[in-house]
Amino acid sequence: MNNNSASIQRSTKTLVYHLRDVVKTREAEGVAFRLRVPSLQIAMGEKIALTGESGCGKSTMLDMLAFILRPSATGAFRFRPLGDQEPLDVDAYWKAGKINQLGDLRKRYLGYVIQTGGLLPYLTVRDNMNLCRKVLGLKRDGTVEHLAAELGIASHLNKLPGALSTGERQRVAIGRALAHKPSIVIADEPTASLDPYAAQKIMSHFIGLVDELNITVILASHAWRYMKKLGLRQLHHRTMRHADTNLTETIVRG
Amino acid sequence: MGVPLIKTFFLASRDYLHEWQMSFCFVIALAAVLGPMMVLFGLKFGIVGAMVDQLIEDPRNREIRPVSSGRYDQGWLENVRTRPDVSFLVPRTRSIAATIELASESSSRNVRVELIPSADGDPLLPPGELPEGVTRIVLSELTAKKLQVEAGDTVDGSIARQFRNQKERIHLPLTVTAVAPAQAFSRDGAFVSVTLLDALEDFRDGRAVPRMGWAGDYASSVRTYPSFRLYARSIYDVAGLADAFADLGVDVHTHAADIERVQRMNRNLTAIYWAIAVIGLFGFSVSMGANLWANVDRKRKELSVLRLVGFRTLDIAWFPMVQALYTAVLGWALAVGLYQVVAWIINEMMASQLEAGQRVCRLLPQHYEIALALTCGAAVISAGLAGLRSARIEPSESLRDL
Repeated sequence: MNNNSASIQRSTKTLVYHLRDVVKTREAEGVAFRLRVPSLQIAMGEKIALTGESGCGKSTMLDMLAFILRPSATGAFRFRPLGDQEPLDVDAYWKAGKINQLGDLRKRYLGYVIQTGGLLPYLTVRDNMNLCRKVLGLKRDGTVEHLAAELGIASHLNKLPGALSTGERQRVAIGRALAHKPSIVIADEPTASLDPYAAQKIMSHFIGLVDELNITVILASHAWRYMKKLGLRQLHHRTMRHADTNLTETIVRG
Repeated sequence: MGVPLIKTFFLASRDYLHEWQMSFCFVIALAAVLGPMMVLFGLKFGIVGAMVDQLIEDPRNREIRPVSSGRYDQGWLENVRTRPDVSFLVPRTRSIAATIELASESSSRNVRVELIPSADGDPLLPPGELPEGVTRIVLSELTAKKLQVEAGDTVDGSIARQFRNQKERIHLPLTVTAVAPAQAFSRDGAFVSVTLLDALEDFRDGRAVPRMGWAGDYASSVRTYPSFRLYARSIYDVAGLADAFADLGVDVHTHAADIERVQRMNRNLTAIYWAIAVIGLFGFSVSMGANLWANVDRKRKELSVLRLVGFRTLDIAWFPMVQALYTAVLGWALAVGLYQVVAWIINEMMASQLEAGQRVCRLLPQHYEIALALTCGAAVISAGLAGLRSARIEPSESLRDL
């Protein structure tokens, strides 16, 4: 498949994300960091990988896509979770301070896998996985148990996260992000804390599950070779250091 | 489309239970402040309460006596009697005339007793055993003992006079309707109706008493009394009544000073107590606030996760609120338990010095309720501040800490 036909195929599909000239600037102790997105289009059902060394802005990018980080400047930021609806203007939500409405969008359409699991230590594995379903008011229908079986953690459902290994916790986190059947799953290095063997195993499980559920995936990882093998599209990005102004800039396109 | 409160409640409860050691520490910290405060208040309430009870229960504290004798007629007395702050008023006849010699069959002794005017509602006598008419009498305990009589017995009362240069003595059969308790009158005495006293005074003065068949020089004209027995409605009316009598030109003797002393003590102790309570409550609120505040920091990551899965600002703010209320209610319950134990020990230790049923350390049910309300109020305020803080958590900054 060449690059050209892929882009044509994308343009005819519904765009879940459509960003233009989105910038996030951060400054800490005299060192500035800037993430610039001149243009980004992510189509429904796509599997996207954002790769690169740590500190290049992957998490910043993902947080903006999950509406938990407000861009410093925005040309356009459109989000269309369902194909048959008009795109939503995320920038307008931010400008109006409607962070609760952004939270509602996240609750309904997004699943987020955090690098370190982010499980609630006081809930059992079952309740952790069921958390998003519960806040949406979804009935128990065996989805959690099914997912747990798929992820190989069915025997841990009644345990607290503290009793699990890192790898098992990460599987629970993946399960939680998928249990409410979101349109989009964002995963920030979901396997970074695991050994390579376990990482590959969990990653293929994850990709297999999202394929099965036809979910759009945006994944940050530092292991591109493996991502490519799983059929993910890589976002182009370039990191530059401006020594004179102490500014690190990453430009993401795709 | 917020998250239903019951779910926030459930999650906050699970968290509270999961961290039961930490939660238990908060509960103990609260009980450690609240418990001693309740004991302190229990003591203050118990001691002052007992003193006030004594003041109220002892009718002698409500008595108002004219210092010197005057001339009070029926109209004047009736005006005073109908005042709302007066509970009991009977006129006294001249004290020289108000004595009688009593004799009984069971004792060889004749006892000379003071006669105390009485009527329905006499606060010194138990209800229902009142002297009426000219044949009924209530003896003081001392006199009853000397005469070896009890309620239902008949005694012989006699008085003498010099009339037309002749010594005359009359005898009256009197039925003992009751024996007054020792604290009502400690000397030899008898409670009788004003009618009998009037008759005895007339007899002594040489006036005719037709209804008793006693001869005399002339019938009595308009009667005035030199003094009266008066009891205020409550101890709190005594000072006001004394002022009213002063305005009428009547010097009176009251127990107002004693009453004032107890009331002042109550006020002072209450002020001291509240000073301690306010400091304690403030300290507790600050400590709980600091705990909850630090908790928000400690749970930054977990609260961020909740934000991430779509909890709204308000949903998140409920989190510390629910947990603070748990601490408040459990801490209060522990403090109540603590108080009960300490109060029981104190009351047991003091039992020998108290009358039956009296307690040095006691609280009313509403005191427990007030303590609970104050605690919850302080918890809600400090949790509100912590809640505001937790609502401001930026998930993107906190998610990757753990």
